[in-house]
Amino acid sequence: MTETASSVAPPSRLRALTGNNEIVLIVILAVLCVLISIGAPQFYSVENVVAILRQCALVLIVASGMTMLLIAAEVDLSVGASLAFSGVVAMDVTNKTNSVLLGGLAGIAFGASVGLFNGLVVTRLRVNSLIATIATMMILQGGIYLYTREAVQNRHSIRLFTDLSTGYVGPVPVPVIIAALVFIACYVVLRHTMVGRYIYAVGANEKAARLSGLRSERLKLGVFVFTGMLVGLAGLLLASLMNTGQPTAGRGFELQVIAAVILGGTSLMGGRGTLIGTLLAVLVLKVIDNGIIILRWNQDLQMIVPGLVIIGATWLDLVRRKSDAR
Amino acid sequence: MLDEARTGHAAAIDTSIPALEMVGIGKRFPGVLALENVDLRLEPGKVHALMGENGAGKSTLIKILAGVYEKDVGTIRIAGREVEIRTPRDALSQGIKVVFQEIALIPEFTVAENIFLEDYPTSGAGNIRWRKIRDDAAALFDRIGFKVNPDARTGDLPVSQQQMVEIARALASEARIVVMDEPTSSLTPTEVEMLFSVIRRLTSLGIAILYVSHKLDEIFEIADTVTVLRDGRHISTQPKTAHTSDTLIRDMIGRQIGDLFPRSRGAGTGDVVVGVSGLSTAKLADIAFEARAGEVLGVFGLMGAGRTELAKALVGYDPIRTGTITIGGSPLCPHDTRTAVSLGIGLLTEDRKTEGLMLELPVMHNMSLASLGRFANMSFLDEKRERSAVQEFVDRFRVKTPSLEQHIKNLSGGNQQKVLLARWLMRGLKVIVVDEPTRGIDVGAKSEIFALIDRLAAEGLAVIMMTSEMPELLGLSDRIMVMAEGRITATMGRDEATQEKILNAAIA
Repeated sequence: MTETASSVAPPSRLRALTGNNEIVLIVILAVLCVLISIGAPQFYSVENVVAILRQCALVLIVASGMTMLLIAAEVDLSVGASLAFSGVVAMDVTNKTNSVLLGGLAGIAFGASVGLFNGLVVTRLRVNSLIATIATMMILQGGIYLYTREAVQNRHSIRLFTDLSTGYVGPVPVPVIIAALVFIACYVVLRHTMVGRYIYAVGANEKAARLSGLRSERLKLGVFVFTGMLVGLAGLLLASLMNTGQPTAGRGFELQVIAAVILGGTSLMGGRGTLIGTLLAVLVLKVIDNGIIILRWNQDLQMIVPGLVIIGATWLDLVRRKSDAR
Repeated sequence: MLDEARTGHAAAIDTSIPALEMVGIGKRFPGVLALENVDLRLEPGKVHALMGENGAGKSTLIKILAGVYEKDVGTIRIAGREVEIRTPRDALSQGIKVVFQEIALIPEFTVAENIFLEDYPTSGAGNIRWRKIRDDAAALFDRIGFKVNPDARTGDLPVSQQQMVEIARALASEARIVVMDEPTSSLTPTEVEMLFSVIRRLTSLGIAILYVSHKLDEIFEIADTVTVLRDGRHISTQPKTAHTSDTLIRDMIGRQIGDLFPRSRGAGTGDVVVGVSGLSTAKLADIAFEARAGEVLGVFGLMGAGRTELAKALVGYDPIRTGTITIGGSPLCPHDTRTAVSLGIGLLTEDRKTEGLMLELPVMHNMSLASLGRFANMSFLDEKRERSAVQEFVDRFRVKTPSLEQHIKNLSGGNQQKVLLARWLMRGLKVIVVDEPTRGIDVGAKSEIFALIDRLAAEGLAVIMMTSEMPELLGLSDRIMVMAEGRITATMGRDEATQEKILNAAIA
């Protein structure tokens, strides 16, 4: 209703900064922390907090790219399969060259080329990204066995390679620092640059964006490649963490990532979403994981509870937006 | 209650009792009073027009009648009996049919299946009687004079025919009151005539019509009585004969509009900035014309004539088969909107929602989209400069918005259109193509849009205006080009143009 909305007061600073969805997530997060710490006081120990953050790192790195992709009204379901494959490539190349730099670059380049492939299929062949990336996922899951039948073991024993995931800078694990840098970079791009504006615009209305002189396809292609690079980076960290390139790693990873992005309030329809929401959602999901472990609950709940949380949060969001629409 | 309504309806309609009385209706939404003490009284067999600018409360009133919203206070009487309408089903059972502006048909179904969607006839065994649905639909079309194939897949029909189907659907079951919300917004002149004859047939049966429209000429043709709302309040209810366009407009906007078509410029003959020759696309054949700086070139055509297709080819959106387009002397690469924009041609689209606005994004982001480069340093945006530039346009164009952060979907059509115009003016253009610039915009905002178009030409832009509205074509254009079936059939100067000449060329 135009007559109602135009007279509603402008949103306050705080609300403009966070949005309602973020507030819901902060409340959920706070309630979770309080409840878990009642049952298990060790929840607040430094070790546990660091463990939670470490758990968040991989998901957050990929979810940062995925948030951009969803805002641009596309999606990538191949990130799990690509994660495992780039880990294998990174380990293998490091073995062969004895260079972590070359191995890391190879892993990232592999992820980026998967992103490029996805992007080309979506923007040139105009295959819907949901279908295109499921197909890519299948290709990669089969393709990885053509590459190697079993896990690629660490034969180079370079300290730096394992330090990528297990090292610390002060009290902070290296992967957490990497994730934080990725997150901040993505945040700045989305919030403060032309590229970020264009991503929102293309996702909100691609036709209108094109008519305004934007090259929407090139932009989408770029976001696919960027997300692919982040997957490659995460794959490298995963190989380092497991100290092996494991072809079966990353199963279900894409769902974790997309669940976090959606829970964070990013719309599957494009044009709407924030990285802060994604960050909070990753924290919520990982705190739930952690709580189930330290409360010694049945581990199967690790899948069930987040599922219920996603339904609940999405429903809350819907209720809120309905009352907004009035 | 349901039975009672049915039997009540079966009896002949008593023309001495008002079909509908709404008394003292009030409705409050959080933070705003949408309707305050509004009265409305429909007589059987009469057409009652409901007018007002966007935001006046028309749609709230209709939605209360349709059971979409519930009123806070007030009384509703149908044929003299007090009723409560809480749900759309309540409204239907009272014989109230509402034809909304948005088309709500299932594209995959046939026309006949859509017509009877609410209540399929079944055999004793519970099987749907498809044959009967089809025959009934055909009979209904005969009765009201529609020429639509009831077996056609609805999604394959042009929008104008879908709208006719939507109207027919309201008439499928017996109605006492029919509400039409801007029913002609996508109809061709012939179809409008057909709609009017349907309306006359309905009124002869004693059905009361509530007709919501912005179009003054329609109101004067079809309505018996006119009620005007403004800011949620009842302003006037008078027989049509007591009104002139001026008094109606005054009631609607609360002030006098000087001249609907201002003219601040002389007969400008600047340089040629658009040159088109031999242009053919899938829908266009052999188009050639020029447009000069400082002129408004009006392009008229009936639905399907190729106006929108021409507009889209000009700005590099649609691919072209043959021919050349030059903007300011430079050739335009076909199918590349980016070079088109950088050469200085932009399109204000006919369909704001699907091709213009980013509904979920704030006013500021919508407006500055095409000129972000100006505010960016290495892609980093200087939001302060951006904000002040946007604010300048908001002030200059008198865009009514509570803040620059407001989602643009919450603005009225006229204000949305101003933001989209500003998107281009901020960029700085040589040529602007405007396609149906006043579709779905109320009278007050219309005159502002006309003034803006006039000023653009006065400032030296070439304006190419695609329109199917005769008054704005004749009122604004310096030259007029008429299209039919993808070709240009006539070109004439402002002075030689008459309504007959234009229509003849459009039908050719």
